[in-house]
Amino acid sequence: MINYMKSEYYRLFRLKGLYITSVICFLLIAAAAAVLYYFGQSDPNFPYNTGEFFYSNVIGSGLLIVLVGIIFNSTLTGKDMSLIKQSVSFGISRKIIFWSKLIITLSCFLAVCAVGILFMIVLGENMFPSDQQSVRHFLIASVNMAPLILSGFFLTHALKMMKVGDIYIIFVLLFIYGFSSNLLRNLFRPVTGLNEIYKYTPNTLLNDNLMHFMDGTVQFEYLYWIIGIVISVIAILIGAKKFKNQSID
Amino acid sequence: MDTIVQTYRLTKRFKDAEVIKPLDFTLKKGEICALIGKNGAGKSTIFKMLSGQIKPTSGDMQLFGKTGKKKARARKRMGFMIETPAFFPDFTAQQNLEYFRIQRGVVDKQRIHEVLEIVDLAKEKKKKFKEYSMGMKQRLGIALCLLSSPDCLVLDEPINGLDAEGIMEIRKLLTKLNQEKHITILISSHILTELELLATRFVFIKNGVVVDDLSKEALVDKSRKQILLKVDDPAKAARVLEQAYVDLQYQVLPDQVITIQNYAEKAGEINRLLVDSGVFVREFRTETLKLEEYFLGLVEGEQQ
Repeated sequence: MINYMKSEYYRLFRLKGLYITSVICFLLIAAAAAVLYYFGQSDPNFPYNTGEFFYSNVIGSGLLIVLVGIIFNSTLTGKDMSLIKQSVSFGISRKIIFWSKLIITLSCFLAVCAVGILFMIVLGENMFPSDQQSVRHFLIASVNMAPLILSGFFLTHALKMMKVGDIYIIFVLLFIYGFSSNLLRNLFRPVTGLNEIYKYTPNTLLNDNLMHFMDGTVQFEYLYWIIGIVISVIAILIGAKKFKNQSID
Repeated sequence: MDTIVQTYRLTKRFKDAEVIKPLDFTLKKGEICALIGKNGAGKSTIFKMLSGQIKPTSGDMQLFGKTGKKKARARKRMGFMIETPAFFPDFTAQQNLEYFRIQRGVVDKQRIHEVLEIVDLAKEKKKKFKEYSMGMKQRLGIALCLLSSPDCLVLDEPINGLDAEGIMEIRKLLTKLNQEKHITILISSHILTELELLATRFVFIKNGVVVDDLSKEALVDKSRKQILLKVDDPAKAARVLEQAYVDLQYQVLPDQVITIQNYAEKAGEINRLLVDSGVFVREFRTETLKLEEYFLGLVEGEQQ
């Protein structure tokens, strides 16, 4: 497994797309900060010239971050998947391929997320007026978001390894992390016992997290982790099992 | 002789179609075995089952005498090139092989240069894979097969897209690897004349079933020979031959040509008989059926 992971690192760090995506992410953060700073300086009554609002751009972008995760996962599960026939024929097990690609792309995604959070805090604390609690709240809200974002990443990985097309993956993610609550609320409204199920969908949880962050009442919630872990485990188990028996052409 | 590959009642079914019917196949050490069949006969499916790309529906196989999970380790002693080789398009040959060198745990970095030298790609240092011609891609595929110094090569259409010179080079290379490094080779190609020059054993497959399996010597013996002669008077020649050989099978063709399908071993005797009978023989030769003709006879003969 170590050799396989090393070879995948060799590939990953020679992909221009990875660097370009990372730089674009950081530039978007910097651009958001610059825009808020500019309007804050030009208009003394501009209400969004605060650290809290700057941080809320990330806390409210759960779906977008999940979609960015597709790009990171695709670095090793996109077109390059055609090469795995040569790895399989060398006796490298599908299990090793599945987990190695997941671990490497995930570590890269997490590293970019971590740098992005640090970058935000540096910008937020130096460019905007904020209260002492804003960084703490931002970090708590980020910890609440993390399992849901990661579940999206795991789901993406499982679908990619099962050769599901990118368009279908985007639709699945948009549904689960964007619109599932509305659908479930309308669908199960008349059904007693299930009419509250929409409250446990990822997009409801992401919205709740943002609301709590904005009104300063955010706190660590186990529910986010439970839902995130359940989605992750189901996605990984199905993905690994399907990939194990999949024909590789 | 050691057994490299052994299959027991191996089958593969895709939905309703049984692509490979119970297959018992053995590949012995040192052989260059040609797998011959029409498109869709099941050659690539057999190769893919051997490589682990697809799983058999039933049956079992041994690689270097190993089964089950130990088979994966045995695969490391084999080099597979099945259909078109896949590489990173934005990498050079050196970078592509470096990726696989790391993956396969080949310690010696120099090995990349060695295999690129073998397939004559060492000079293409800056060219990216996407800029390669079909022949260059095939050669890089063979270089990858050789990277981990395998004991057995499994090559599916390795000379696809190569020009005449490239084909000859690959044939020489494979012969050299077999004779000098004792590498066993299982190969398929639609260019049967090349296989005829290269292989020491021929396995014919049709609709997922092995219909014939014979050594080069057996193929030569089994290839139906015929005598072709050109005479000044075919009618007289036919009469003389019919009198001498009652069960003679012959055909009179245009341009005063006669072909005799049996008694090929009595070619000298027949020649003397005709000359002694006053038939002027302009041309006389014994023909052996080529692999291609033998294959077509086998496949189409069974169809009839």
